[in-house]
Amino acid sequence: MSVLSFLNWLQQTGWATGLKESALLFPLVEGTHILSLSFSVCMIMMLDFRLLGLSFRSQPASLMMDQLMQWALPGFCVMFFTGALLFCTEPVRAYGNNFFRAKMILLALAGINALFYRFRYYPKMAQWDLAAPPAGARAVAALSLIFWIGVIACGRTMAYEL
Amino acid sequence: MFQTLVQRFVQWCYYSKDYAFIRDTKYAIPLLQSIHLTGITLLLGTTVILNLRLLGFGFRLLPLPMLSEQLWPWTKTGLLLAIVTGIMVFLPDPTRYAHSGPFRLKMLLLCVALLYQFTVFRRIARTDPESRSGIRNAVLAAISLGLWFGVGWSGRAIAFFQ
Repeated sequence: MSVLSFLNWLQQTGWATGLKESALLFPLVEGTHILSLSFSVCMIMMLDFRLLGLSFRSQPASLMMDQLMQWALPGFCVMFFTGALLFCTEPVRAYGNNFFRAKMILLALAGINALFYRFRYYPKMAQWDLAAPPAGARAVAALSLIFWIGVIACGRTMAYEL
Repeated sequence: MFQTLVQRFVQWCYYSKDYAFIRDTKYAIPLLQSIHLTGITLLLGTTVILNLRLLGFGFRLLPLPMLSEQLWPWTKTGLLLAIVTGIMVFLPDPTRYAHSGPFRLKMLLLCVALLYQFTVFRRIARTDPESRSGIRNAVLAAISLGLWFGVGWSGRAIAFFQ
């Protein structure tokens, strides 16, 4: 089965059309997807600002990360779940949309970037908790900001072309 | 009286050549909306952090006055970005917004939220939550979250409801 025929089948399932046509449920899912940015992406941005030395310089980096991630992770779960639901309402057109494709690429880059940090820098964070983070960790933080702002911009813009 | 004022303001915006370029540039509105949403992420997210701390849901190892001091520049940045781009989206297309119920609700809630932020919330966030009862903290946080998420939800509702 090709990707397109799968997406065609997906958008014709009863629950996908039901969600798409629901006057209340669709705005609710979409609003939750957008407003949960304040739990997911904002927490990551604050961690990036800490690593870049722009904020929270008096606080240990590992403590900031621990406290922020406790809310960032559930935030991302809500985001991915509502995002997947939204995708199901318009999968064929989303698939063909360049901004959607750019968003998925940026999302993958943000994920790889975060995993790279997790394995390369996170285990040794205690060593530079109150000192300047290594140049590589700061580069990860700067890239993270760029990728996430890109995800927001592509996500917002694709809505104009669906 | 109010209706006539709104009407004249809308006409003035619409015929003002200064904003026509926004209507006529292909990606101007999506770009402005993307910056608007990035601003909201910062504004809402930093407010969420302070309120979660006030409620005792996480961030317990970080003192509230420190969080408040370090987050405030980002709250202000987010607010500034959201307001400037919000005005730039409104001016070229005033008829769409001025007569919209959710938009009017958004502006009303925004005024109340700003008033609460600058009179009550800023002062509360600079003090230790332990100095107040849990119920008092919960009420203060519920008002802040209710107002700011009210602004967010009514903003989202502009796209779906009259």
